[in-house]
Amino acid sequence: MHIPDGYLGPETCGVFYAVMLPIWVRASKIVKKTLKAKQVPILAIGAAFNFVIMMFNVPIPGGTTGHAVGGTLVAILLGPWAASIATTIALLVQALLFGDGGITTFGANCFNMAFVLPFVGYYIYKAISRNAPIGSNKRVIAAGIGSYVGINIAAAFAGLELGIQPLLHKTATGQALYCPYGLNVALPAMLGGHLLAFGWVEVIATALVIKYLQKRSPELLEEGRKN
Amino acid sequence: MLRDNNFVERSIAGTVSLLKESVFADEYAAKDGFLQSLDPRIKVVTFIMFMAAILFTKSTAVCLYLYALCLALAFFSNVNMGFFLKRTWIFIPIFSFFIAIPALFSTFTPGENLFIINLLGRKLIITSQGLYTVTLLVMRVIASVSFVVLLNITTKHFALLKVLRIFWIPQIFVMTIGMSYRYIYLFLEIVENTYLAIKSRVGTRLDYKKGQHVTAWNISFLWQRSYYLSEAVYSAMLSRGYTGEPVLLDDFKTKLRDWVWLFLTLTFFVILLYANAKLI
Repeated sequence: MHIPDGYLGPETCGVFYAVMLPIWVRASKIVKKTLKAKQVPILAIGAAFNFVIMMFNVPIPGGTTGHAVGGTLVAILLGPWAASIATTIALLVQALLFGDGGITTFGANCFNMAFVLPFVGYYIYKAISRNAPIGSNKRVIAAGIGSYVGINIAAAFAGLELGIQPLLHKTATGQALYCPYGLNVALPAMLGGHLLAFGWVEVIATALVIKYLQKRSPELLEEGRKN
Repeated sequence: MLRDNNFVERSIAGTVSLLKESVFADEYAAKDGFLQSLDPRIKVVTFIMFMAAILFTKSTAVCLYLYALCLALAFFSNVNMGFFLKRTWIFIPIFSFFIAIPALFSTFTPGENLFIINLLGRKLIITSQGLYTVTLLVMRVIASVSFVVLLNITTKHFALLKVLRIFWIPQIFVMTIGMSYRYIYLFLEIVENTYLAIKSRVGTRLDYKKGQHVTAWNISFLWQRSYYLSEAVYSAMLSRGYTGEPVLLDDFKTKLRDWVWLFLTLTFFVILLYANAKLI
């Protein structure tokens, strides 16, 4: 879902930086208030955890593997605002030091993966699980549904951002200057892969991790609920 | 995101190669060369100008010139060209090329016919407009990726993260990014060791359901360790004098050559923007 440099035009890149700026400011204010002093390193550790989740290959039927993004999982564990900061940092490290993602498209990538994905996933999880006990199966199902919807809505936004490029940027003779495919191609291409495959990888990783934490360390899920 | 291989082998190979490549990359930052001699702050600002020029240009020729400039900078910075080309071309640009292939054809990009390919009785027409679109996209991607990779291999990673301060990013974020970067290495080692332990006990072949449970257990175990580690890290920070406000040492020095480089790049950038406004 990482959009590399070169796929989005300058206006789109600028708009998403402008959209993310107040989100980052609000996230840092909220996190400063809610995280206890001794939890300061948890943001850095959360970001590193988020980065490493993307390296876990989850086996799926047919002998293939896929990797999760982990946005909803980190939001359940840290709260959505802290997850937003942690994912932003993970994306920044990926873009700057590992050349994965983009610098000019960083704002758009953060909007999709550090804002839409954790917030949609987390609030769906919260709406379904409501006051269910920490060890309840309802929470596992809620986490699965939240992660599936979250990643698909984020993918739809990525498809939209790519698909509007031929409308926004073209030469006088109509040639596309950035992503060459319109909404009729970009949107189904992004959504198809996520609805059929990557979304399920996200469900498996998120739901099973919540199930394991319920058994082994339910107090960590409690911490996430407080944030 | 999907890979056709055994997940245990894949995870181990992936983490080890990533680690090795990153350590290798820091070796270039320690070498003597043109980019290594620049103040990282000036270097980042000028590289952002190059990236912006690539983003704004409507010309494949300008992208090509900028890419040539990037290769020249790599050469004068003592970067091994084989390593640099492999690191920049593999994956994102090649992936972009494959994604862009359909845009060559008249179905997606109508225009003047350039080539006609007969495939299983169907005529596929490559248009000159399609060729322009695909060339521009791939050139833009490869030039952008090359500048980012060149910046990161010729700058010590910790210095690169400290530079973020010049963009008014609060110190707490800069400190968090620096800490997070170190934890990534620690976590990768934990994951690698865990997978090696799994491999030594059960071999590499597991059915996918068992494999899913192993992966989920691994992620949850990593989170448990991470969470409890954060408290120990905070205690270590307190013992070293952390008072709630992070303090970062400023050891950057700007020399005459940095200002000359900044002036030249700025002039180049303004000329490019002016030329771009006149184009098409």
